[in-house]
Amino acid sequence: MKISFRASMAVTTAIAGAAIAGAAAADTYKIGITQNNVGVDSYQTTYEKAFIAAAGENDNVEAVVLDAGGDVARQIAQMEDLIQQEVDAIIIWPTNGKAVIPAVRKAYQADIPVIVTNSNIDEQGFDFVASFSGPDNITQGSRSAEIMCDKFKEMGIEDEAQIVQISGQPGYTTAIERAKGFEDRLPEVCPDVNLVETQPGDWNREKSQKVMEAFLVKYDDIDGVYAGDDNMGVGALNAAKAAGRDGIIFVGATNFAVGYEAMGRGEYWGSIYQSPVDDAEAALKTALDILNGEDVPFLNYFDTPKITQDNMDEFSKPVF
Amino acid sequence: MQKSVLKNHAKEGAIWGFIVLELIFFGIAGEYMSMTETAFLAPDNMILLLKQSAPLGIIALGMTIVMINGNIDLSVGATFALCAIVMLDSMTWPILAPLGDWAIPFAWGLALLTGMLMGLINGLIVWKTGVDAFIVTLGAMLGFRGLVFMYNGEQPTFHLNWTMVDIAESAPLGIPLPILVFAVCIAVVWWIMNRTVHGRNAYAIGDNREAAVNAGIKVGPHMVWNYVLIGFLAALSSITFYSESGSVNPNDGMLYELWIITAVVLGGTKLTGGRGSIIATVGGILAIQLMRKGLGFIGADTAMVNLVIGSILIAVLYLDRQLNRKGEEELKI
Repeated sequence: MKISFRASMAVTTAIAGAAIAGAAAADTYKIGITQNNVGVDSYQTTYEKAFIAAAGENDNVEAVVLDAGGDVARQIAQMEDLIQQEVDAIIIWPTNGKAVIPAVRKAYQADIPVIVTNSNIDEQGFDFVASFSGPDNITQGSRSAEIMCDKFKEMGIEDEAQIVQISGQPGYTTAIERAKGFEDRLPEVCPDVNLVETQPGDWNREKSQKVMEAFLVKYDDIDGVYAGDDNMGVGALNAAKAAGRDGIIFVGATNFAVGYEAMGRGEYWGSIYQSPVDDAEAALKTALDILNGEDVPFLNYFDTPKITQDNMDEFSKPVF
Repeated sequence: MQKSVLKNHAKEGAIWGFIVLELIFFGIAGEYMSMTETAFLAPDNMILLLKQSAPLGIIALGMTIVMINGNIDLSVGATFALCAIVMLDSMTWPILAPLGDWAIPFAWGLALLTGMLMGLINGLIVWKTGVDAFIVTLGAMLGFRGLVFMYNGEQPTFHLNWTMVDIAESAPLGIPLPILVFAVCIAVVWWIMNRTVHGRNAYAIGDNREAAVNAGIKVGPHMVWNYVLIGFLAALSSITFYSESGSVNPNDGMLYELWIITAVVLGGTKLTGGRGSIIATVGGILAIQLMRKGLGFIGADTAMVNLVIGSILIAVLYLDRQLNRKGEEELKI
């Protein structure tokens, strides 16, 4: 196998590189990946490390690992480079779900299967994509509903609980899908729990805190809060703590380190565990399955399990 | 005399020597360190290199003239994004939308007008207020970027027209269209700088503005024309790039001005004006693009690429300074 050589390894590794290159078997798959912005947050940094590690463990994979640095133009250029290098498959983490569509089409026209990872491209480009590998946000929303409902049943307040929702940024697919999953599932499992109001927190902790402060003034009885991610959930928790309101059940999604810590302190009930390692490994596996001619669903989700105070020991603390 | 001509040739050729060095280095290093069997120097890869150089290169031509003038334009990145927004959004306007694919030339025209207007604003302020071009275009950089964000907030502006994408992706005679556009721009701007009075005046103004005024050159209008030209070229660059991608983020084009100025300076154009060459600027752009692409080819990451290019820029300027100082000393003797 060969993986991307970092420049930090310097020219001295050229000889070692030559040895490895010579050892590469003829029937290996060359898979190129262009990532969104490694280093901007630890999710993406961990993703890259996990991807390189996973590719390294597989003798049949040569990975060309690129990073667009958040720059659409650079990502398009990287797509062109990968096509020119005649890789067997391209994995793309879009910097912009729309601007990369023509570049994805170019790969499609060159008969190179494209796998979109983490966040999908715009629908107009679906024809040119072999598969999407990433989290299922609808399921994440419905699992959050189940976590909350189970807790209410345990507390015996499933017939009277009042809850509020703080959603992600309006217009974002992830925000819309999580809210939909939650709102559809909640009446199925806990028909008597009342969702009194939903307001956007824009994925922002401070904004979410303000939204929660307003909720606390408006409603005397709030038993639960569902937030579109832990970042916003912790913002809401801070508002409740400042107002001295105890006993509220907080459930989020995408377990952040702050959420994990708050769970450890017993202040935050549960969330959805989304691991960048699983994300990266799922993307590579999807690409390999496609290259091996296996049937892969167009939307190929990896599992994002429930995490609560009860089972958090089974998960390592998120790095982001 | 003979010696100084030779030295000038050596200086103009330096950038091409550097490019040859890069090609040799990446050609050899690519054999050992790259992940792919395709050679770095493969013709397809070189064509791709030229194509990817086009967006920055087209603007760099205009920047060369402006810098020969002794001015600078920091607002080109923002103009680049603004023109793209006008181009993509105008195709959905009620006037243009019913035209279908015929909206494309009008959208391009509007983008070019936008670019020229932005250049005109810069030029007029530089001329009429006498404020240093650095400050004026720094303000314009922020101001134009503000316009970009006012247009559509943080959201990308998007209009996918497959006909437009096909035109932008087309390759008449096997050469991708952006390269042809770049080549025509090089030819025209070279002609302006070397065969017209306007070009001669540009050097004269940059060399000694007082003397140029005394010689009867209308310095103000001359600079305005150059800003309109760079605005036009920024718009043209925006068209060649965004016709293909069909979507612009409000942050697009940020730091383009710095990449472009880096390329122009690498090509030997003086920041103080009076000296510079279009062909050498093309060399500067190719050198940077080669560096970016080559380092990527052998597996370096983005941060590393920036570090290397920054170091080379400083090294080149230091060498240039040493060469010039030696030249002056020789003259005294």
